Amino acid sequence: PNPCTSDGIKCIMDQSSYRLLQILSLACLACRLTSSSFKNYGTIIPQSPTVEIGKEFTATCVVYEAAKATVDDIYWTSGGVIVPKEQYTKINDSAVNVTIPITRETGKWLLCKKNESPSSLNKSKTIHGIELTKGYPPEKPENLSCMAVQFDQQISSNVTCTWQPGKMDEKISTTFTLFGSNYSTKAQRSSGCIYFGNFPNYMELDIWVDVENNLGKVRSDVLFIIDPNEMVKTNPPLDVNIISEKNFSRTLLVSWKHPIHETVVKLKYNLRFCTVGSGDWTEVPPNDTESSKESFRLQYLKPDMEHVVQVRCMHHTGYGYWSDWSANSTARTPEDKPTSKPDLWRVVIPSQGKSERRVEVICKDPVESNGRIRGYNIKIQDGAWEVVPVNGSELNSRSQERKMIPLYQIPLSDKRRGSIELKAWNSVGESPRASLGIPKLAHEPPPVASLSCFNQDRRLWVEWQPPNVEATGVTEYVLEWVSVSDGAIDWQREPRHNRKAPIKGTLQRFKLYSISVYPMYSGWTGKPLTTACFLEQGAPLEGPSVKVRRTGKSNAEVEWMEIPLDKRRGFITNYTIFYITGGKEHSIVVSPDTYSYTVEGLASNSKQVVRIMASTVQGSTNGSDLSFNTLMYAPGQMEATVVSVCIGILFVIVLTVSLCMYKIDLIKKIWPPVPDPSNSTIANWSPDFPTKAVSPKESVLGDVSVVEVDVFDRKSLCEEDKAGLPLKKDKYLSEEHSSGIGGSSCMSTPRQSVSDSEEGGDSGQTTTSTVQYSSVVASNGYKGQSPCTLPQSPCTLLQTPQCGSSQSQTPSFARSESTQPLLDSEESQEGSGQSHQRNPYFSRSPVASESRDPGDRNQLEMEEQGLASLRFCPLEEGSQQTTPTDEGQSPDEQPGPVPSYMPQLRGHRQPC
Amino acid sequence: MSGHVKNMYPQLSISQAARTLLSLLLVAAIDSMNAGIACRNQQCESHIQRSSKLTRLIHMESVDLLKIYKASQGDLSELFCQMPINIVPNPNISGLDPSERMLSIYSHCKAFLPHLKRVTEQQRDLQPPSSPLLNNLTTAQYRTSGLANQIKCIYQTLFPNLPIPLEPVDGPTSIHPSQNVFQQKVYGCVVLKNFKELLSQIRHELRTIKNQMCKSRTFAYTNALF
Repeated sequence: PNPCTSDGIKCIMDQSSYRLLQILSLACLACRLTSSSFKNYGTIIPQSPTVEIGKEFTATCVVYEAAKATVDDIYWTSGGVIVPKEQYTKINDSAVNVTIPITRETGKWLLCKKNESPSSLNKSKTIHGIELTKGYPPEKPENLSCMAVQFDQQISSNVTCTWQPGKMDEKISTTFTLFGSNYSTKAQRSSGCIYFGNFPNYMELDIWVDVENNLGKVRSDVLFIIDPNEMVKTNPPLDVNIISEKNFSRTLLVSWKHPIHETVVKLKYNLRFCTVGSGDWTEVPPNDTESSKESFRLQYLKPDMEHVVQVRCMHHTGYGYWSDWSANSTARTPEDKPTSKPDLWRVVIPSQGKSERRVEVICKDPVESNGRIRGYNIKIQDGAWEVVPVNGSELNSRSQERKMIPLYQIPLSDKRRGSIELKAWNSVGESPRASLGIPKLAHEPPPVASLSCFNQDRRLWVEWQPPNVEATGVTEYVLEWVSVSDGAIDWQREPRHNRKAPIKGTLQRFKLYSISVYPMYSGWTGKPLTTACFLEQGAPLEGPSVKVRRTGKSNAEVEWMEIPLDKRRGFITNYTIFYITGGKEHSIVVSPDTYSYTVEGLASNSKQVVRIMASTVQGSTNGSDLSFNTLMYAPGQMEATVVSVCIGILFVIVLTVSLCMYKIDLIKKIWPPVPDPSNSTIANWSPDFPTKAVSPKESVLGDVSVVEVDVFDRKSLCEEDKAGLPLKKDKYLSEEHSSGIGGSSCMSTPRQSVSDSEEGGDSGQTTTSTVQYSSVVASNGYKGQSPCTLPQSPCTLLQTPQCGSSQSQTPSFARSESTQPLLDSEESQEGSGQSHQRNPYFSRSPVASESRDPGDRNQLEMEEQGLASLRFCPLEEGSQQTTPTDEGQSPDEQPGPVPSYMPQLRGHRQPC
Repeated sequence: MSGHVKNMYPQLSISQAARTLLSLLLVAAIDSMNAGIACRNQQCESHIQRSSKLTRLIHMESVDLLKIYKASQGDLSELFCQMPINIVPNPNISGLDPSERMLSIYSHCKAFLPHLKRVTEQQRDLQPPSSPLLNNLTTAQYRTSGLANQIKCIYQTLFPNLPIPLEPVDGPTSIHPSQNVFQQKVYGCVVLKNFKELLSQIRHELRTIKNQMCKSRTFAYTNALF
């Protein structure tokens, strides 16, 4: 609607009225709802208080009518616990007090409640409740101090103060206010900054801190400052400058400017200086710079040294704060001539095979070289002074370590003494003279009595005892140390009364040093005593590498190399051998000088792992593992077994053969030989038989009835080789064939002479020579049982010995032409003439018979067969066991001696 | 406007009210601070010595202040600073005995304070806000007020039975109601020049008083002991 028309205006009014009514209605509704839902039954005074722990707190509950209760129905709870009635105080009908002690355990909420009627579901109704904030009042700040710093050429108007706050309850809000005279500012907990507009130079000033919380307020002690300049920290002095003046080698002039005008703050100064790189500051005594001066001369400085100077300042009264040190200002003092001797020393190198030494002269710059040493003047023995210019002999003022300078090398006979003199010089002048004497090798003065070293405070100390001689005349000691790994040498001198000293040089950890102590006798070197030391030991860098030198069935010999010196890092105290066998690890500790060891008790034919651990006093390091296999058999075991078996087999064979040879008769029993009648040649002998006389010897041995062939009879073999036995048999046989029965003995020459023509004899026949083909019948009975009269048997042609003529009787025998070895008995009787001697080679070789032509052979065979049928009655196998006694005792059954080829046992050869 | 012609700085006109308010507050703080410090019993010598140091400081700063003032006023001949202006206090310390001379020192310090304040206000209108002159003028007021307070304390200590007049002995300070810029510059220069001379005289007087009073008091105190 158009607001400019009357209808429009009316319309607008209607709408606004409607909205106004709407808002009023909603407000009334809200009020009603609020009044009905949250009825106010009472209140507690005070509301949300902050209470102090350790004190009592009293609250009042005022009950409104709406509560429909009296104060008698009221009770209090604190932290859910009902406060006893004794702590209540009734003020009037509608108000009641409660007093509770406040502790840390006191509950947060304090409620005022009323008891409900028994019919009510709720037994109690809360009238009102308050939340208690517990805490402590603030504590007094302590140690208030303030500082004002320089700003431009004035003191800053901002003064910063710090203090130590007391205990605070973090739950209670606490405020800190810093006051400075009539100024104040809010501060932090332990510091604050107050702005004064203008710094109150020379005007009294009071500063304090107020601390306040809900439980109280406390003020720090007032810092009463008579002169605020006494809390000033100014800037460091300006334009610090050092002037080095020629001809003043030990002084430096230091100048500076005040950082602030003296009228504003009067200052005092403080100087300190050091040589470049040392870091050891030396402060000028404060009394020397108390006045507000702007320059100072440093004295007693070292010549030719670069010095650093710093200056600071503070209020001249000493109150307030020192400024920071000024920036470094450096200057070098001028050079001066050396004021101390050069440190002269030598290294003696013995020559191999020569009676002279090589002496290397070395030195160090003088301690007080006072400038760059440009050279040395050296004099050897009684020679002239020689100039040795040096280039690198620049004293490094930043380091106290002086370098060793090799100067000269001279050969010196072992039988000569040497003397060296040395002077150092720089651009200003010469140093005092240093001298050193080297005695004859055989006349070196005695060494120190003992020498040892130890570690203390990360330094290596050397301890020694003076030489064991009266009035030694030792003037000083020289400690020399040489790095074993790189040969670097250094030394230092110690006064004569010293018995121990730390090594002043730079030693490296874990490196071995050879340390010698030389007693000096008025400049002459004594004999050194040397020991080896570590500055600090550690575990070896690596363990020993192990290898197996030899493996066995149950052992192995392992060996390892010594750890390289640069990786040893200490004295090896022991080696530990670890090996795993049978799933268990074993260890063996061996001495440090052992480099091989035989590990026993290993399982055969199995994989073994072994490693070596090297130990020092500071730890141990394992070497790498090494795997190897043990053998199945010990070395030589196989060979020994084979040899043993072979020897055994050989022994068995020999034994068997021996047994066979010795027990041939037993074998014969098992396998009796079968006579071959065709080999018998007795028929050839028959015509001669009767005319053949029997020698007395034969009669003596006539008791031997059976001839046996003993090829192993050593007496028969004499020195002949057994291998030649068949051949010799043949020879003998051929000889026999040529010379007849009753030839020579085994050593007779005819045998040897005949042998060659018969080489081609049948070996088979020779072998069969051991077989008895026939028997020679003895007439002497058996075992003394001599038959008295043997009847003439039709079966025998042999003469039977007569009974009773035992010694003289001639035994009758029959000679068989058979090749049977039974003929041996005859041969033996004829050849040897000894009854007990038997010659096994008297058998008739078949070769002899074979030498005949076949016609003769057949004829011979026929004759033999005929003779055999007439004259021989070969014994049956079973009858061979029959003794002659038995036979003799049964003449009826078998009259006369029966030809037998039973083997005659020696034991049976008993005379009648 | 405090009776002087304002030199307009359009670019800074917006914060003019704020600067004025800050200056007033600072001056009020200086007054309240110095007025609120009570005198403490101190050794005569140290007390006077401290005042001497403060005088020396103020004097040194007054020399610089005058230089800066002259430098910041443009073409202002040195001769103008020599012009006599009746309303500017005479820097000469008067009095026959130490008490009178100390009282004269105190009165002169008090007398120069309103003049310094006026010059500060005038220069605040003439100089840019960053000008060190304004800061130095404020500092001079602050220190002079402090010096006056110290002199008062020394006087009370040395002459406890002699009252301190409420008004300066030289009469109330009269300030000319209105000045043009030139007059303001000349006025300021004369005030600062006299102020510097005053401080020079105070240094001298304090040294004399220290020698006279502190030794005699020590002697008197020693006699009293025996």
